[in-house]
Amino acid sequence: MDATAGPAPARAAQGERHRLVYRHSVATRLTHWIATLAFFVLVMSGLQIFNAAPYLDASDKSDPGRRVVDIGFTTNPSGNPAGYLRIFGFQIPTGHALGFTDDGLGSETGRAFPGWITLPGYQDLADGRRWHLFFAWIAVIAGLAYIVAGARRRDLALIVLRPSDLPKLVPMQLYYLRLRREPPAYGKYNPLQKLAYTLVLFVFAPLVVLSGLALSPGIDALAGPLTTLLGGRQFARLWHFAAMVGLIGFFFVHVTLVLSTGVVNNLRSMITGSYELGKHEGLGP
Amino acid sequence: MKRQLFLASSISAIAGCAGISNKLNDNPTIHKIIGSAQGLDHAVIGTRGRARLYSERDIDRNFRTNGFDTPSDSTYGGLARDGFARYALAVDGEVERPHHFSLAQLRALASLRQITRHDCVEGWSAIGEWNGVPLARFLALVRPTARARYVVFHCFDRAPDGTPYYESLDIVEAAHPQTLLALDLNGKPLDPAHGAPVRLRIPTQLGYKSAKWIKRIQLAARLEGIFGGGGGYWEDNGYEWYAGI
Repeated sequence: MDATAGPAPARAAQGERHRLVYRHSVATRLTHWIATLAFFVLVMSGLQIFNAAPYLDASDKSDPGRRVVDIGFTTNPSGNPAGYLRIFGFQIPTGHALGFTDDGLGSETGRAFPGWITLPGYQDLADGRRWHLFFAWIAVIAGLAYIVAGARRRDLALIVLRPSDLPKLVPMQLYYLRLRREPPAYGKYNPLQKLAYTLVLFVFAPLVVLSGLALSPGIDALAGPLTTLLGGRQFARLWHFAAMVGLIGFFFVHVTLVLSTGVVNNLRSMITGSYELGKHEGLGP
Repeated sequence: MKRQLFLASSISAIAGCAGISNKLNDNPTIHKIIGSAQGLDHAVIGTRGRARLYSERDIDRNFRTNGFDTPSDSTYGGLARDGFARYALAVDGEVERPHHFSLAQLRALASLRQITRHDCVEGWSAIGEWNGVPLARFLALVRPTARARYVVFHCFDRAPDGTPYYESLDIVEAAHPQTLLALDLNGKPLDPAHGAPVRLRIPTQLGYKSAKWIKRIQLAARLEGIFGGGGGYWEDNGYEWYAGI
């Protein structure tokens, strides 16, 4: 059982000012930072790989008629190239940010994602794949180790969103928006944290892994129903990309909250494990 | 002025980012470490199972082409002008029966027609109907020696710098029942753009393995000493030899 969930309310009742708890186990902290590194490498090398075929189709084989996302560029009458991003047929001009952009070597070229966000910076599908396929293993191993360690310490049970948390989601959001004075009672994690972590651990992460595997012709031959279930190989590429967008969305929300809710305390808890509970934390289920 | 300065500094910061990525990528030790996943992928995935079979209505009538241009050298051009009547596929190396196969002989051996999906390493896919000689059947005819471990495909095409294209498969994986020496695409003999007269078609691996314009098949005990030693043109240029993922 976690230290924060049990005795914390009693200590709070005693009016203790500094409620320092051991919040994250070594396994949690280690896998967190390994997964962070892997996440950066996988996103950057993934965008490098995407650049080789900068479009996503909701189909098995490539089919321009079912194109959902497309990044490219057009050259205007005066001869200047300008990028575009097309989503569901809506064309968004992207100038020199996407489509015609930084080639990673100090110049510009026709290329979906710019060199500053790809790995390697210059266009090189072979090396992008090398990074991606190595760190995919790292991410999966770290993810499984996190789940197993969390399940053994019963931490995982505290992070999963439960039906009883659902009515607390809106009050918690109102509290974050300062439209409500007190948050609803919660334990180690508040209901919105549970929602975010549950989505990442049990929706986005499995989806990103399974859709990635479905892209492999070798795995498709071994486990055909997987690719079919995802709508085919090109659709699996679309799922893979969508899950990445979900994970990037989580990343920004996560970092914003880490920074805005006591950055030193938050970072310390993920480095040494030690965390000082806020006045509302650890009081409820 | 301020805006220009801001732009200039953001551009240099951004260029710096690509610079770090490039430096990491160019480090030989890191490059070697991240390349180690290939062996694991090969062991775990391998060439097992069966590629999905499709129906007639899934076929791409305009099957996409990729890779190098159709070979422009005079040997290939001469063969193509006669409809490959003088073409002969050489089989040599670690075989008990080195042999030349004419196109007519290969046609007589053709016994497998399958509609499969071609998955390019770039990410796109296309579906075609392939007809040809199962590679397993072909290998049984030429009788590889006990030393043979790899099947190496030498092709007519060359990179712009003149390097010839070649590919290779593990001899056990080459015998996968869906691997073909393809002669026809979508009911017609292969046209020059799609690899005429003979190409490899291996639906359990990525497209760059499916070498086009094959002129010679060499059975080999090892890949060292064959061109760059990587087992293929793209492998010599950084791509994985195991192309199942």
